[in-house]
Amino acid sequence: MKAVILDGSRAEGDSLNLLSEVVMSVVERYGYQVDNITLRHEKIGSCMGCFGCWLRTPGMCVIDDDGRKVAEKVIRSDLVVYLTPITFGGYSSELKKALDRIACPRLLPFLKKTGGEVHHPLRYESSPTLVVFGVLPSQELESEELFEILVARNAINMHTHAHSSIVYSTETFDVVQKKVDSLLDRAGVTR
Amino acid sequence: MNRAKRALLLVGSPRGLASTSESLGTYLLQRLNEHGFETEKTYATVCVSSDRNREILLKLVNSADLLILAFPLYVDSLPSRLIATLELIADHKMTENASVRQRLVAIVNSGFPEARQNDTAIAICRSFAKEAGIEWVGGLALGGGQMIAGRPLSKLGGRVRKVTKALDLTAAAIAEGQPVPKQAADLISKPMIPIRLYIWMANRGWSHRLKEYGTQPKLYDQPYLINT
Repeated sequence: MKAVILDGSRAEGDSLNLLSEVVMSVVERYGYQVDNITLRHEKIGSCMGCFGCWLRTPGMCVIDDDGRKVAEKVIRSDLVVYLTPITFGGYSSELKKALDRIACPRLLPFLKKTGGEVHHPLRYESSPTLVVFGVLPSQELESEELFEILVARNAINMHTHAHSSIVYSTETFDVVQKKVDSLLDRAGVTR
Repeated sequence: MNRAKRALLLVGSPRGLASTSESLGTYLLQRLNEHGFETEKTYATVCVSSDRNREILLKLVNSADLLILAFPLYVDSLPSRLIATLELIADHKMTENASVRQRLVAIVNSGFPEARQNDTAIAICRSFAKEAGIEWVGGLALGGGQMIAGRPLSKLGGRVRKVTKALDLTAAAIAEGQPVPKQAADLISKPMIPIRLYIWMANRGWSHRLKEYGTQPKLYDQPYLINT
């Protein structure tokens, strides 16, 4: 079993280090081979909106940089974990830069009505299970609710199951550990 | 004498000038200009690309009374460069002590026919406004963006009449200091053509383009499963 962690911290001290370590250790404990990618350290250009990954090189972004490596790791994984500071109720620009690059190569260009809405079908047989941890300095109910909706919407568009949880940057190691254990259990990682 | 209000359009599409976001945002900017606004335009593709561009952006934002975000839906949210631009603006706003009233309106378009798929992105813009201390005026969500495909709205005739009417109403309301009218949000969200027809046209379009590129035989390739 393979897992990949996409760390969307914007800068050192974004309070994702502890979370990242805990997630890594829990996922490894359950026998996963884990890749932990701190996205800001990778050379990933922004999506150009060119649809080259559908038209020129189907299934592969035309930009030859680390974005391709991230896409490959995600596609070959059973589990993907996003870590991000919650930014305006959504993902940080660092995480989003990678997500913009890896979404379309995993889908086909055609539109199809599924579950009452129009979406793109998957290019591959299946999509890895998605687990998302959003970090906030303290409780912000509106942002938390929006974040959960965003993750659920992503799950629909990427044809997968998604689970999300909020972590506060002031929380202790024990609390973070419990939240990680609980969410990964809900996602079926521990079974 | 009061100075003219200033509107700044921030185009969030990676395609910049050739984008549907440009078409929609520019149309609104022109209508605001007719209502007496001074107008400026900038692009998220360049806003955070250098220290100098960041400085230019923040100066433009500082002098704007109205900020317009026009962007395509990317993975249920905003394109990454636009998020990076908003992060920069929000960080800047936290360090300044401005008391000037600034307002924000967002126009989101997507290739999916249902405008409601843009709702999460609009909520993110509203959340940005709150964090940056900018008054939220409202959001306009457009589905079926391929019907515009980066062309000026003035060249598209009757098929975009609900879109232009919605933007006309929005410009008039903003000029009066009012929020985006519900009628405008409802109008722009209506499908330009029936959804089944849109799907058929979009899929036929992709098939044609794949043929043009000579890549139709590779359409279903799974390049990352090779050598697993």
